[in-house]
Amino acid sequence: MRSCELTHLSHWKSLPHMISPDQCNRGPVQFSLPVSDPSRGPHFTGCRSREQETFRCWWSAGIFQNLTEPGTLRVFYQTKNALSEWQECPDYTHTVKNECYFNKTFTHIWTSYCIQLRSVRENITYDETCFTVENIVHPDPPIGLNWTLLNVSHSGLHFDILVRWAPPPSADVQMGWMSLMYQVQYRVRNASHWEMLDLESGTQQSIYGLHTDKEYEVRVRCKMSAFNNFGEFSDSILVHVAQIPSKESTFPTTLVLIFGVIGLVILLVLLIFSQQQRLMVIFLPPIPAPKIKGIDPELLKNGKLDQLNSLLSSQDMYKPDFYHEDPWVEFIQLDLDDPAEKNESSDTQHLLGLSRSGSSHVLHFKSDDDSGRASCYDPEIPNPEDLAALLPGHSGRGDNHPLVSRSSSSIPDLGVQQTSEVEETPIQTQPAVPSWVNMDFYAQVSDFTPAGGVVLSPGQLNSSPEKKKEEENEKKIPFQLVSDGAYTSENTARQLSADVPPSPGPEQGYQTFPTQAVEGNLWNGEYLVSTSDSQIPYLLPEAPPVPILPPVSGYTVVQEVDAQHSLLLNPPSSQPAICPHSPNKHLPAMPTMPMGYLTPDLLGNLTP
Amino acid sequence: MGLSVPAVAVLLVVLLCLDPHGRVGSAPICAHGSSGCHVPSLADLFDRVIQHSARMHSLSNDLHSEFEQYFLPSKNHIRKIYRKCHTSNILTPNGKENAQKLAREELTEVILKLLMAWRDPLFQLHQSMAHQQDFNSFSSNKALEMGDMAHELRKGVEKVAEKMRVLGMLGNSVTGLSAAEAMLPLSDSGEAMSDYELLYCFRRDSNKVQNYLKILKCRIVPEHDC
Repeated sequence: MRSCELTHLSHWKSLPHMISPDQCNRGPVQFSLPVSDPSRGPHFTGCRSREQETFRCWWSAGIFQNLTEPGTLRVFYQTKNALSEWQECPDYTHTVKNECYFNKTFTHIWTSYCIQLRSVRENITYDETCFTVENIVHPDPPIGLNWTLLNVSHSGLHFDILVRWAPPPSADVQMGWMSLMYQVQYRVRNASHWEMLDLESGTQQSIYGLHTDKEYEVRVRCKMSAFNNFGEFSDSILVHVAQIPSKESTFPTTLVLIFGVIGLVILLVLLIFSQQQRLMVIFLPPIPAPKIKGIDPELLKNGKLDQLNSLLSSQDMYKPDFYHEDPWVEFIQLDLDDPAEKNESSDTQHLLGLSRSGSSHVLHFKSDDDSGRASCYDPEIPNPEDLAALLPGHSGRGDNHPLVSRSSSSIPDLGVQQTSEVEETPIQTQPAVPSWVNMDFYAQVSDFTPAGGVVLSPGQLNSSPEKKKEEENEKKIPFQLVSDGAYTSENTARQLSADVPPSPGPEQGYQTFPTQAVEGNLWNGEYLVSTSDSQIPYLLPEAPPVPILPPVSGYTVVQEVDAQHSLLLNPPSSQPAICPHSPNKHLPAMPTMPMGYLTPDLLGNLTP
Repeated sequence: MGLSVPAVAVLLVVLLCLDPHGRVGSAPICAHGSSGCHVPSLADLFDRVIQHSARMHSLSNDLHSEFEQYFLPSKNHIRKIYRKCHTSNILTPNGKENAQKLAREELTEVILKLLMAWRDPLFQLHQSMAHQQDFNSFSSNKALEMGDMAHELRKGVEKVAEKMRVLGMLGNSVTGLSAAEAMLPLSDSGEAMSDYELLYCFRRDSNKVQNYLKILKCRIVPEHDC
């Protein structure tokens, strides 16, 4: 298109009609090629230069046939540089009609030429055109076009070739006077459309993607770079590659493979869809939600508090269960059913092992532990033999209540014994076991000797019943033997109670129950121990003997339970005022005495 | 790591000598001729210069075609095509043989004169094209680039000439470098040339420069069939 504009612009003067860009698209050859327009008068048909060193011009007489004689029409040119005169064509080619040839001498590059077609006789200028030589250069076609096979595809259907050519010999490419660009075109033989490749500055070009078993035509043309005038096409060459027939066998194999793959895919899809659930479980196992015992938050969210209520209410059962299941509690039970059995086989006696079996009982008794006192009870009683030895001596006093207080004469013995027995055990039972045995289990430790002995509170009523150091001892577990210093073991208690000397001393030994008033014998621990002159069912409600450290504190021994299921406390032998007999007096006494370990139901019985 | 001072100097010179742009104007000449310095030969310099001139000419051709495509000149304008370009005063060989017959110094001088003559007109052309809203920015950028190319080409040719002088290929009669008068692009009637005329003239002159350079190279650098 550009060359069209360039060449046609010079014709504006001559051509009667305007040249629009659309018309320019028809190609650049309208002026350069000697194509005559017979409808017009004499006119130039074109000027061309092949190598930018010479050029030629052609004209046609047109419809004026009377001017076809040679010599009637003459060409004059003028070079615009020198503003020279119009000169006639230097060389009318003899061999070619209506051609004016400008050789090297007359060819000036970069010079504007204007040529005129005149009829000298008539002195009429039929046509005039102007140009510059470099704009009318159309190089000659390249020569030596050939092709070589680059490769053939694996399928054997396509192949690539390399096309080579040589520049036109007329063009001085060596020096670079003309720098050429080439364009290769190809098509299937006898097709209508040519495939055009990009411009190539070199002298070879690759063509890819040609089909085998097809014949191709390839041709090439060139132009000056930075100029727009293509030269003529070279002669076409034929390219043909035969297809290798062995490739056809792969076709059915390919089909089989494709169908097999499709079938497998379909099967797999069906399998997945049929086993969807199982596969989901296998590949995406459900994560177990944490199971927390207790309140389900979902229920809470939904406002269902029944579970919560049930849970909370069930908490109440713990305490009673605790009470019931406490072996300690079980161990000490009120013998409500058969008071007649209190004679010989009182519970205390049984407990203390007072069937005169002595040490065996003691030991048995000792071994029969874990009933609530396991934590505090030290089964390794130091020198149990000593304790046991004391028992038989004391066991002779069957008639006495085991807990009958004894004189304090034995207490120092006990104390001595105690101190001599055990070093680390602050609690020492006193030899006065028998009297004490019949009385009650526990002795209240009143004081500690520097030597490490335990001073048990004597069974003196005078001793101030220091009632309560409950806060210290409430939490102590009963039967805590030695180290606490507040409790004595049963053995020691027995021993102590046997003597029960109420004599106060530095080592007061055991404080017996009967000698002391109810008040005096108060345990800080929640204890009610009843004593009686006669056999006394040693009744102890479930009692954790809280270790106490008061010098003197009394406790009351529950004597018995009468028919009305009321507790009879120790009759006040020495302190009548203290010991209430009537069950009614239990009540006021109750706050004064530290309560024993009572079950709620028993408590319920006690309450009026 | 104890690099001596001369080694460091050599490294620096090498870095300076390496020309990533490939432009003639920025190719330094290794004066010291150290071993690590790649000295481009005269042939390489000529190749670079010729490549550059080819690019410049191609650009001028594109601009000229664009101008013609969008602005078909009127009849009056066409007449002005044949007005002399401002560089017409410079005597230039009009053919290959004429150029081959010309002395190297004169040929080099002609080239330099041409390039020098186009320094201001190209700048003027760019300014004019940038202000006109008819042209898109792409064309004005091309004009600017063309002006820069002409400037760099001139520098490159000067370097080539200097190298030729150093090598003794050129005599000392090259005086075109100094006498570079700024020629105003005036037409015969004194009017300023239009953009189209400038483009037309520059396209022609760039082609001249390209061909002259090729001829010069063929004469200076002994190659086959040149």
